[in-house]
Amino acid sequence: MMQQAETITASSSKGARARNYARHYGWFIVPAAVVVLAVIIFPWIFTIYVSAHDWHLGGARSWVGFDNYIKLFSDSRFGWAMLRTLFYTVLSVIFPMILGLAAALAFNHKFPLRGLARTIFILPMMATPVAVALVWTMTFHPQLGVLNWLLAQVGLPPSMWIYSANTVIPTLVMIEVWHWTPLVMLLILGGLASLPIDPYEAAKIDGANGWQAFRHITLPLLMPFIVVALIIRCIDALKAFDTIYVITQGGPGSASETINIFLYLQAFAFYNVGYASAVVVVFFAIILALATLLLWTRQRVKMT
Amino acid sequence: MANHITRRQALGATTALLAAPAFVRQANAQSRFDWRRFAGDRIEVTLQTSPRGLLLQRQNKEFEDLTGIRCGIEVVPEQQHRQKVIIEYASGRPSFDVAEMSLHVNKRQIGKARWNTDIKALIADQSITAPDFDFADFGAGMVQYATQADGRMDSLPAFADYFILYYNKELLAARNIAVPTTWDGMFEAARALTEPSRQIYGHVGRGLKNANVVLWSSYLLGTAQRDMINANRQLITDTDDAIWAGEMYKKFLRDVSPPGSIGFNWNECQTTFMQGRAAMWIDGIGFAAPLEDRQRSRVAGKVGYALVPKGRSASHHCCLFGAGYGISETSRKKGPAWLYLQWALGKENQLRMLTSGAGVPARSSPFGNEAAIAASTFPREFFQTLGESAKIARAGLPEIVPVTQFRDVIGAALTNTISGSDVATELRRATAEFRPVLEQSERES
Amino acid sequence: MIVEAKRSPAQYRLRRLIGNIGFGFSVLVLISPAILFFLWMLSLSFKNELDNTDWPPVFIPQSPTLDNYREVFARNDFLRFAWNSIVVSFGATGIALLIGVPAGYGIAKMHAMRAAALILIARITPGLSYLIPLFLLFQWLGMTGTLTPIVITHLVITVPIVVWVMISFFEGLPPELEEAALVDGASIWQAFRYVAMPLARPGITVATILSFIFSWNNFIFAMVLAGRETRTLPVAVNNMLTFEQIAWGPLSAAALLVTAPVLILTLVAQKQIVAGLTAGGVKGA
Repeated sequence: MMQQAETITASSSKGARARNYARHYGWFIVPAAVVVLAVIIFPWIFTIYVSAHDWHLGGARSWVGFDNYIKLFSDSRFGWAMLRTLFYTVLSVIFPMILGLAAALAFNHKFPLRGLARTIFILPMMATPVAVALVWTMTFHPQLGVLNWLLAQVGLPPSMWIYSANTVIPTLVMIEVWHWTPLVMLLILGGLASLPIDPYEAAKIDGANGWQAFRHITLPLLMPFIVVALIIRCIDALKAFDTIYVITQGGPGSASETINIFLYLQAFAFYNVGYASAVVVVFFAIILALATLLLWTRQRVKMT
Repeated sequence: MANHITRRQALGATTALLAAPAFVRQANAQSRFDWRRFAGDRIEVTLQTSPRGLLLQRQNKEFEDLTGIRCGIEVVPEQQHRQKVIIEYASGRPSFDVAEMSLHVNKRQIGKARWNTDIKALIADQSITAPDFDFADFGAGMVQYATQADGRMDSLPAFADYFILYYNKELLAARNIAVPTTWDGMFEAARALTEPSRQIYGHVGRGLKNANVVLWSSYLLGTAQRDMINANRQLITDTDDAIWAGEMYKKFLRDVSPPGSIGFNWNECQTTFMQGRAAMWIDGIGFAAPLEDRQRSRVAGKVGYALVPKGRSASHHCCLFGAGYGISETSRKKGPAWLYLQWALGKENQLRMLTSGAGVPARSSPFGNEAAIAASTFPREFFQTLGESAKIARAGLPEIVPVTQFRDVIGAALTNTISGSDVATELRRATAEFRPVLEQSERES
Repeated sequence: MIVEAKRSPAQYRLRRLIGNIGFGFSVLVLISPAILFFLWMLSLSFKNELDNTDWPPVFIPQSPTLDNYREVFARNDFLRFAWNSIVVSFGATGIALLIGVPAGYGIAKMHAMRAAALILIARITPGLSYLIPLFLLFQWLGMTGTLTPIVITHLVITVPIVVWVMISFFEGLPPELEEAALVDGASIWQAFRYVAMPLARPGITVATILSFIFSWNNFIFAMVLAGRETRTLPVAVNNMLTFEQIAWGPLSAAALLVTAPVLILTLVAQKQIVAGLTAGGVKGA
């Protein structure tokens, strides 16, 4: 927002001209806005329309108003899906945030081969999720997979990974952490790179050690970037689909059935598109609420 | 030069003469069958990933050469195939002309919506049916399976699948254990054969929800009740017999199967068995193909094939599943598509299916082909078991519309029992959950 | 500092050394999950079936084989699917650049946060939420045999990325140059086209790369919308769970081939990618 300051301090005639042109810049935005709206808004209207029906593919359709929503809130399977989504999301946000922060701090120092190490570190984020998920599945095989062999090497008992209801969500979280920590790292690294040096000099003179400098200078200055990373992580974790679908399809049983997987099953496996549309609406409302909450938090942090 | 012209004239005359029969032939085209009648057309075929599908994919060029029809064939994994096909049907304009239909899953759904065209009409049309088609060659049971309640036959029966008992001869012989003939006996044998320290287990079976229901069916067929819906088309999946079958399922999967089988579908079970880590495996006979392949299987040559064990009632049944290939009603290439069906399910391909262990053909003639059977890599025992299973086969899933959802609900309950839940509670809960779905679906039909 | 001076130089050096080793070790720990995974993927793809299912696992095969790769090309229409992926990703990226770069400029100039929010809503909607209606629509229009529907739906991925990256790049440009052009009588379009855009070339490069990568990796749109011939690589590789499970060799060979383009792109353009994502973070969503 230094930009804004500059514009204000600029000469009044230039400022006036810039403001005169402001409305013309609108035309630059129109094509993109139109495309995005067209691809999203019309399907959305249709989804809301469908959610008010009892609509089975290949069967009858009838108007039921809010019935689907009422059924949804008394559907214990959906309730469980929400709990699992919450569990998955919380874990998938906390770990990448902590690890990403640590990695960013590490990569902020100059060391030999830093570029190479950083490149290797971000590879998981760039790899095709589906391809990677299939290879992960191979490593999880209880008898023949390499991960259990690794566990045995360090003296730990073999794990059931995705084959037990107790360990399936932590395993999926592990993959998500492996996949997205690099993004958090990059976002925070950008912040670290832009930090001013003066406060640190002052702190050194005052005799503060590394940890104190971190707690009282780095962390507060980094807050805006941490919050941005938090927002992006939360939204992405809520929407996670590809990896879970490819690896477990919501299994074993329904132990890894998040809202997104539940939605897919209702629409494309049970052909219950009316009910599925209601799930879509509720799901999106949840995401929107969370996004708004986080953005509001970001505003508050920016002010302090 | 004069000779040249004369010769050329002569050649010309001869060609004209030879052309005459062609004219005559074309004039009769309406009433005589010609494989190349639709040459130049294009059709789309979609099949499930399985040895059958892969077989037809490999042989596709043979069809194209025979008929001149370009055939785009795709082979898709089971669950995705079923989902995709139904969605395309429902949209009103499927992109395929021929689709494989799992009779045990989608028969009623597709039949009710009349998404496929009636094959009987096509068979009756002599101009597009080969004279040696021999419809009588198709087994009566399979034909009946493929026929809908209203008499329409909306798919040509392609193959059947019976559940059998695969066993590792070496492992059983090492402990001097005889091939079990009852479920209880099999459990005892499995227990004796389980050595977790050597990573060898007595049994492997499907634990993955949805897919595992058919294993539970196998136990249920050994009870007096046998079926999952009664004569009034009501759910009876929470009765004593159903619970007994559930307890059997829980025992097998929990106590004598490899850890991780809770997530196994047939392919993981097959791999485990092929690696020699499981002594016994209950599943479809159509999955036998790679077991005798020395490049892939560590148990090639050591596999035994037996009938499924008996249960606690007098009757002895094995699960029956089947598939047919249908032509979509909105297809504009019904003629070429029908030619495809005749080729794909013709005597030669069905024979290939049988001798490569890829499935149980719907036709009866392959079973009589002694020479081919003797030349197959599969032992006599395989074909014997196949023949005997055919006699005791009985449908393993109810013929209702929402089969996938049924498999999902009951399957999830069964998978939960592997983790320790009480069988009766799970089955009762699942039954209560599915009952309204079934009732609504029955009302709509 | 006063405390430090009391130590001997040798002790100081030792402390530095231990600190450095500790640091090096932690960096190693950070990057080992990534590199070990890809190395394992590579190893799986060069071993035959018996080696792949051996226990304890074989890491470096006695007889490495290229058969898995051959089988990938022979068994599937792999090249066609690769072509589909290329067409879709380039198409979606190209269109996104055409409409996204000006949009980023306009939003940066106008500080139009609401417009930014609108376009970024696309990023937070779950893919399935508009796939069902879009699928029905494309069926009705008879377009399902073509790649067009997939390109169109991929715009939902690529446009927000381009816009997001370009907003921060344009905001980082000093306005004097454009002001000067405007004073000289240029229209705002000309100021954009001839002054701002050349300056933002690094940003456009980054936006292109990121947009291409995320479009290439996308699975769900093509899974629902693609027909037999219009499948993209991620969908094709998922369908490769073949009957003869465990076909780990061919599966990892296919997986590696599918992800290789974006991995190579990352290796080559890592500086730009890092620059794009870290700068983007500064101005944020």
